[in-house]
Amino acid sequence: MIHWPVAITGLGCICAAGGTVPDCLDSLYAGRRAPVPPTRFSTSHPTAFPVFEVRDFREPPELLRTSALGVQAAAEALADADLSPEELRGLRVGVCVGTTVGSALNDEGFCRAHRAGEEPDLFPMERILNSNPAAAIARAFGCTGPCQTVVNACASGTDAVGLAASWIRGGICDVAIAGGADELGRITYHGFISLMITDDSPCKPFDRDRKGLNLGEGAGMLVLESEQVRARRGARARSFVMGYGSACDAHHLTAPHPDGAGLRQAVAEALACCAVAAERVAFVNAHGTGTPDNDRVESRVLAELFPGVPYHSTKGHTGHTLGAAGGIEAVFTVACLERGVVPASAGFENVDPELAGEPLRGNREVAGDFALSQSLAFGGSNSVLLFGKGDAE
Amino acid sequence: MDTKEKLKQILVKDLNLEEVTPEEISDSAPLFGEGLGLDSLDAVELVVIVQKHFGVEIKDMEEGRKAFQSVDSLAAYIEERKGA
Amino acid sequence: MRLSVRGIGIVGAFGTGVESFEKALVEGQVTVGSIEVATGEGVQAVPAYRADTAGLEEFVPKRSLRRVDHYSKLALLGSFLALKDAGMLDSGLSRVGLVIASGYGATATTYAFLDSLISGGDTCASPTHFANSVHNAAAANVAITLGIRGPSLTVSQFDMSVPSALVSARQWLAEGRVDTVLFGAIDEVSELVAYLQHRRRGPRHAPAMAPLDAGAESSIIGEGASFLLLTRDEGAPAYCGIDSVETGNLFGTQLSLPSDALLLLGADGRSELGRRYQDAVPEGAQAACYTPIYGSMPAAAGFDLAAAALALKAGRAFASPAGPGPFVPAPAAVSRICSLRLAGPSEYATIVMSKL
Repeated sequence: MIHWPVAITGLGCICAAGGTVPDCLDSLYAGRRAPVPPTRFSTSHPTAFPVFEVRDFREPPELLRTSALGVQAAAEALADADLSPEELRGLRVGVCVGTTVGSALNDEGFCRAHRAGEEPDLFPMERILNSNPAAAIARAFGCTGPCQTVVNACASGTDAVGLAASWIRGGICDVAIAGGADELGRITYHGFISLMITDDSPCKPFDRDRKGLNLGEGAGMLVLESEQVRARRGARARSFVMGYGSACDAHHLTAPHPDGAGLRQAVAEALACCAVAAERVAFVNAHGTGTPDNDRVESRVLAELFPGVPYHSTKGHTGHTLGAAGGIEAVFTVACLERGVVPASAGFENVDPELAGEPLRGNREVAGDFALSQSLAFGGSNSVLLFGKGDAE
Repeated sequence: MDTKEKLKQILVKDLNLEEVTPEEISDSAPLFGEGLGLDSLDAVELVVIVQKHFGVEIKDMEEGRKAFQSVDSLAAYIEERKGA
Repeated sequence: MRLSVRGIGIVGAFGTGVESFEKALVEGQVTVGSIEVATGEGVQAVPAYRADTAGLEEFVPKRSLRRVDHYSKLALLGSFLALKDAGMLDSGLSRVGLVIASGYGATATTYAFLDSLISGGDTCASPTHFANSVHNAAAANVAITLGIRGPSLTVSQFDMSVPSALVSARQWLAEGRVDTVLFGAIDEVSELVAYLQHRRRGPRHAPAMAPLDAGAESSIIGEGASFLLLTRDEGAPAYCGIDSVETGNLFGTQLSLPSDALLLLGADGRSELGRRYQDAVPEGAQAACYTPIYGSMPAAAGFDLAAAALALKAGRAFASPAGPGPFVPAPAAVSRICSLRLAGPSEYATIVMSKL
């Protein structure tokens, strides 16, 4: 069954690379990045692992930072789509958001106090229960359509965009706010350190000397719109969601399949469902976390499925923002396709002779009509989105 | 109790090795792959276990790989560094 | 497009499998257990519907479960039972997608991970607990154990997890991404969930759930897994059809309900929602509520669906275990059921199912 394209009419993003989409793009094209040891929380770990924090952002006390970041990116995306609150009220708007920490009953202070025999204030738990990311965005903008918080680990944001596109095609809603959001905290920080896949220096995706990932935080949101509503509003499509594929490795809880079986399947599905040939893909925004395993598997699959197609990882600019990554990278992929320039893969210097190829060394102009963004997650989930060029400006 | 014995007990308990008793683990059998059947996630758990129970830090997986060949090699690694 | 429910795999306080579940629905009662939890006044027993996953040994060797926690075991058992029920245990699982809905995820393992940080310090965080604490760990374990290589989705929308996830599962089938969806609802009773219940409702817990008594605070936490094997309705034998799924926020607008369906209410003894349910049911509408069979948990919506499927297959509704409340009781014969879930001030979901 061929899926018809779904228009993207608005983009929003907040992460370490910038507080808005234009700010982020400036950083990406200028190759700026500045990971530093965490400033928002303390650690007694002897090694200071750098992270990509969002500066100058303060969440309201009653909302989880994750959800506040999501609301902020959604507000930018809705403004970019020129959808006012009045306009939204007359439409059935769905919200589909990926996260890893945004809906987990996970609060260290609460647990510590409980373990110490105290009766801790329930506020941190109530805040989590009132901060479900999709529900929080729906509340902020009065969205009446379905709400879905996708918790597919590091592929969550990518899946959320693919699912929301399917909702629009299925007539389940007129407009969808879709993407991902995640905050950085002590729990994920120490969890990833314990897995021994974090780099104690700025991350170097696809580089010979890569040692692991740096964590990041932020949110990336897209506004998807039905053709009916778009025609009535005369809204310009910045891009289209063309295809989406996802597949399980069914291999291991934390390690990717060595041959990238699930990733291949997800790519094949994303291309097949819109009948776009692999040769027509202008560039790929790779998952490119900078861990030895991920980059090995991914570069191998890219070299085989997309020989000669330029690819980059933007995690050298944002860190790995986990559930937000798919949303943020979808925003970047769309914006770079629109501009026709792909930024260099930050952190890459030395070719790894064990990898099948290398990412972009410098910013590159591209002329094609399609671009791919891919995510590989814990649990062997692989998800891929194919974007197409939008209407002329 | 010597380090090897303690190690075997901890392995069975902390890695939740179903249907294996400490006595059944041989000193020289490989921990990973064919031997006890441990995998990459067990390897990183083992780093934490060694830190927690013996106070010995394994800095990276290159070091870990050498230490984790068998109970023999891991016990020797711990003995060498304990209290250092 | 109509879906059909081809298999049910279910485990809860009522036991393991469809027969135990149906028996409990017919008898209208289940033994409520408890969980011990540390409180400021010492250890206390909080009433809870507990589920036993011992049945899993029929399907997988114990050895392969050494790193699998209770949350994932519930998922595995539900999956195997649903496949067995549909006669698909030995068939190749190609073009099968996996969708899991959980309100709270692996809360016991989440707490265990925090414990490792708290007791051992920042350098002793357990990577195994961390990997198992992510919400999609259950889906990953099911995919790995059963060899499912199709798409996988885990949704955590608290009380709306099940209807929300069903919206996407239905789209997968409608768009032909897969031919079958293994759709599961899971939640577990953990120390954290029990402690929260104790703080909000304790220490005097209700002896039994009375969900249709709108004013009463009678929720009892529950756990379990309810898995449905879903396909497009192409005429093959099945429990029932799923005609429509709708969920979202009302924000002041009126809820529209089918007039020809028995309303299956998701009320579960939380008094803050009791009134909303009462107001939502139109005068003279027939209504039932089965939550006293499985308890109060976000995933209970998945148990509502399984109960509705059994009722529709038999063409007979079960009586509400805690009595009909102020509503017209369920009629003996039933051919259409609308499962209604409400949460927060304005969230709603309606899932309409009918006899094939």
